[in-house]
Amino acid sequence: MAQTVIKAENISKYYQLGVVNAGSLKLELQSRFDQLFRRGAIEIEDSSTHIWALKDINFEVSEGEVVGFVGKNGAGKSTLLKIISRVTMPTTGSVKGKGRIASLLEVGTGFQPELTGRENIFLNGHILGMTTAEIRRCFDEIIAFSGIERFIDTPVKRYSSGMYVRLAFAVAAHLNPEILIIDEALAVGDDEFQKKCVAKIKEIATSHGKTVVIVSHNMAAVKELCNRAIYLEHGRIIGTGSADDIVSMYLRKEKFELLVQEFPDPSHAPGNGQLRIKKVELAPVFSNSHGVLDATTALHFSVEIWLQEQFLEGFVTGIHIFNMEGQCVCDLSSSIQHLSTGPVRVDCVIPANFLKPDCYYISIDFIRGTAEKVFSFDVCLTFYVQDTIVKTPWNTHWNGQVRPSFPVTVKSQVKDQYYVTV
Amino acid sequence: MKDEHWSWELSSRQSWFKLDLAELAGYKDLLFSFVRRELKSGYHQTAMGAFWIVLQPLLTTMFYLLVFGNIVKISTDNISPVLFYMSGIIIWSFFSDCLSGAMYSFIKNAHIFNKVYFPRLLVPFSMVITHAIRFGIQFLLFVLLFLYYGDAKGINLSSLLWLPLLIIQIAALGLGIGLIVSTLMVKYRDMDQIMQFTLRLFMFLTPVVYPASLIPQQYEVLYWLNPVTPVIETFRSILFSHAPVEAVYLLIGAANTVMIVAIGLLMFKRREITAMDTI
Repeated sequence: MAQTVIKAENISKYYQLGVVNAGSLKLELQSRFDQLFRRGAIEIEDSSTHIWALKDINFEVSEGEVVGFVGKNGAGKSTLLKIISRVTMPTTGSVKGKGRIASLLEVGTGFQPELTGRENIFLNGHILGMTTAEIRRCFDEIIAFSGIERFIDTPVKRYSSGMYVRLAFAVAAHLNPEILIIDEALAVGDDEFQKKCVAKIKEIATSHGKTVVIVSHNMAAVKELCNRAIYLEHGRIIGTGSADDIVSMYLRKEKFELLVQEFPDPSHAPGNGQLRIKKVELAPVFSNSHGVLDATTALHFSVEIWLQEQFLEGFVTGIHIFNMEGQCVCDLSSSIQHLSTGPVRVDCVIPANFLKPDCYYISIDFIRGTAEKVFSFDVCLTFYVQDTIVKTPWNTHWNGQVRPSFPVTVKSQVKDQYYVTV
Repeated sequence: MKDEHWSWELSSRQSWFKLDLAELAGYKDLLFSFVRRELKSGYHQTAMGAFWIVLQPLLTTMFYLLVFGNIVKISTDNISPVLFYMSGIIIWSFFSDCLSGAMYSFIKNAHIFNKVYFPRLLVPFSMVITHAIRFGIQFLLFVLLFLYYGDAKGINLSSLLWLPLLIIQIAALGLGIGLIVSTLMVKYRDMDQIMQFTLRLFMFLTPVVYPASLIPQQYEVLYWLNPVTPVIETFRSILFSHAPVEAVYLLIGAANTVMIVAIGLLMFKRREITAMDTI
């Protein structure tokens, strides 16, 4: 049984809004005066000037676990991360931890414009909790990762913003603490470098034995990286469980609908050296006049890709439709095609009267030959099938994973000889 | 599991005072990184560079020599005017630099404090070390001038042992006041304005450009309660073989310093993390 390395008990965080001025001095003196003589409990309540950013948060993180926090903007994720990082104090409750902790809530914390890149590597490294010896050990790696060898002895104020974040992320990526706290929004820079950042975060998060707490808006990343996820809403935990369950819960709750993704520039599109995604789309073919995506709507699914390499031994596209429990509702696959480089289009129609009302997301796999997975585009589209508007005389909940309208016929067989009454 | 050992804890209920020296020691690399940052960025893109460290007291001494020595003609207690002004200037600026260095701890580092944890005391400590290094260089300059203008043979060598103590006291005093002000400034930036002109005026209540012997008798006690006064006067009495400062003033000064540092540390530790919500 792995030991608990972070334990948060009853954390609440209360923020006072508004500006500081002469009025606030008066208020403060007044409340100090009251405290001095009444010694009463401080009364705090939700109002326009006060908010509870977090309320009664309890959780534990075990050694070696990768835990993700999900939730909409303003749900309190960042505040919670700050409390775990010990940069802000909870109003009530406590956080306890074991082992050296490093937080990456931002890249380049403490960079000094006047100092050179080399000097800033050390300053920033020290601020993030590395020792001089540790920084020396991975100094060359940091420079190589940042790709700015030539400018390492130039003051960073002369850097372009791209160079600046490259260097900053490079330092952060070489931290080696026991517990790492990451805000995924820190993947920065141009698309190419962002991908490098995300890959590096993955590498750190999945490296053996490291405990990682991560905040992310990217559900695919949460599913991929985390063992466990915690869902925050309005400062409270509304769900804890496996990453798959929580991502499903999140997507269903927020009713995300992402019916098209288009990437006009191949060099910045998802993919790799073998293929790049150009466009994924799910076009509803409405059968009703209200334009509501319900169970009677057929869905025309299409993917356009650029093949960068030849697929002479065969190319297969697999389409997986998941429901929000994370169960694969169906797994579709194309026939094997032998293709050379260039644009390719994949089409598939999910017929009407097949999916039951629920939230779904689609992941696509591209396979070389019959087994080698070349690229997966996970959680690339999400959609929501509403309850059929057509009124049925009864209210019913459909059992089963799907709701195909295979004809079920009922016939009166009065004339059948076997049933002829004597 | 009752015997769980946590290496850190952050709780809404803080103990009143816990100065974790072992933790501070673990961050010594960061401490010196901050010192280096201050030293380097202070003189970046200046033609004179670090030479300003000695140029500043030299120019100020020349200016005081002209204004207070030759125009206003204030007595320097038979001390060579160059050494008199220089000694006052370097000690006073060490004090006020430590103070204003510590005073901006939160304001100037808010962007870092908001993102990363480390013991916040490292920042004011690093300011004191930075200014101690600058003071050391200025003191060397003073020694050179002393060998030229002063009477090195007249010094009682054993009394020189008091000098480091005086320097430590003045640094501690600046740090202590700076820590107190830093916590107040978090919420009320008024403190910045207040301190800027207070420091400027306070210099004239301290024997920097005139000797303490000029103070009329009825104000003497009050005057000597200023904890900077006995330090500067003792410094001069040792080097210029003057009558020693009354021990009671030195003791009061030292006691005040200890108290101010204790209050400063207490207030700073109390606010070091919560400060970020109000800044």
